[in-house]
Amino acid sequence: MSIDAQIAAYLMRLWAAPVEVADLSRIPGGASRETYRFDATADGRTRHLILRRDPTGSLIDTDRRIEFQAYRTAFGRLPVPEPIAFEPEGAELERPFFLMERIDGGIVASPFSAAPFGQYAQEIGEAFFRHLGTLAAIDPAATPLGKIMPTPAPDTCWQVALDHWATVIDTDEAHPQPIVRAAIRRLRAHPPPPAQAVRIVHGDYRSGNIMHDGAGGILAILDWEMTHLGDPIEDLGWAFDPMWNHFDEGAVCGMIPRDRAIAIWEKASGLTVDPVALRWWSLFNAVKGQAIWTSAAREYRAGGCVDPVLGISGWYTARRHDEILADQLIAFAEVNS
Amino acid sequence: MTPTLPEILRGNFMSLAQPPTAEMAGDFMTARVGVIALLNLLAAQEAARGMAAVVAENDAIEQILIAAKSDAVSCPRPGDIYTPAEFDARNAALRSALIELHAAAEARGDHATDRRILALYVTTAAGRRLELPPLPG
Repeated sequence: MSIDAQIAAYLMRLWAAPVEVADLSRIPGGASRETYRFDATADGRTRHLILRRDPTGSLIDTDRRIEFQAYRTAFGRLPVPEPIAFEPEGAELERPFFLMERIDGGIVASPFSAAPFGQYAQEIGEAFFRHLGTLAAIDPAATPLGKIMPTPAPDTCWQVALDHWATVIDTDEAHPQPIVRAAIRRLRAHPPPPAQAVRIVHGDYRSGNIMHDGAGGILAILDWEMTHLGDPIEDLGWAFDPMWNHFDEGAVCGMIPRDRAIAIWEKASGLTVDPVALRWWSLFNAVKGQAIWTSAAREYRAGGCVDPVLGISGWYTARRHDEILADQLIAFAEVNS
Repeated sequence: MTPTLPEILRGNFMSLAQPPTAEMAGDFMTARVGVIALLNLLAAQEAARGMAAVVAENDAIEQILIAAKSDAVSCPRPGDIYTPAEFDARNAALRSALIELHAAAEARGDHATDRRILALYVTTAAGRRLELPPLPG
């Protein structure tokens, strides 16, 4: 059965009405989910939807239930699509998936593009870090996400996160990586201060995971699949990673200067950025990136090397992160000797 | 290092040889072909200078291992190696020994060796660099 027929069968059961699915097409980008756009018409009403389905091979092994609950948590607080339905067993679509409303007319920047926000970089950057600060201000306890996710103690956030990604490298590494191994040892030897507050961490907050309108507005924050509870400085460290600077060393995420981003985030979150914590989480995020690319390389080879997104992730970005790690290790050593 | 250049090039062939499904037509295939083109561009760089980078890295690691022989870290013995795969296998052995050496140096607070190895990481990572041209936004 074709995918559109599978979707129609599922929605007919969900909505208890005949459903017509039209204009189904796959969306490029992420390698951790198959993403499709389509229109579904039932009872004379057409809804514009997105399907996120688990692939057979994935860049990141994540729990789609968490991603769905993250969208539920953020909806109404931040610009995100409205989540519609979640099927952990796959139902008519055979693999786990969820559905959400589609936001049309937006642009998603490639991480390899130069100056993707043009004259609106400052406007988008201010909104980008304000939204991240808003996320960090939310008390997760009463949210859908907070009800299903473990809450680490403030002084163990770093260890939980580092253990997770170090294990990914242990599991997926095919060729010894001395640089990331040195970074892991250095991070363990010099833990950061405890988190000021345990909050929702998006986990992949960067320029390529927002949809903007081409005129200075952010339409949606996407890709919540690595969301977890932890130290909110983690998200800043990831957003500040040179991997996402779009060839502009003076601007984080190709948007605004780092100090300006921190000031906006602090105002929106009500928290402060400890430079020692940020240094630790920055090196940590370079480790995390290398872990993701290590998994990508494994998946790429295991799948017969046919997915070019996994290929470029496991090759170009892995080498780029080795350079970032090497530079950050020098800087880290200078203040932690 | 993985993936290897032959894996990338074979993968690009396989990606393009597979007929796309109907829902892959349009933006998805356009983006997919664009990424394959990028991989080809990077593969050309790797073909031109990748082997030189591996040889230089192997030599540099070996020099550090030899200089630190008192650390009782084993330095893999060189054999007759001619192919990229053999150089890569030797690189894996040398890197494993380097990891061991670095961890030992850290454990005993040997800052001089630590700094020498950290500097080596900067050099070797730069040697492996693949240059991606900035793409239009």
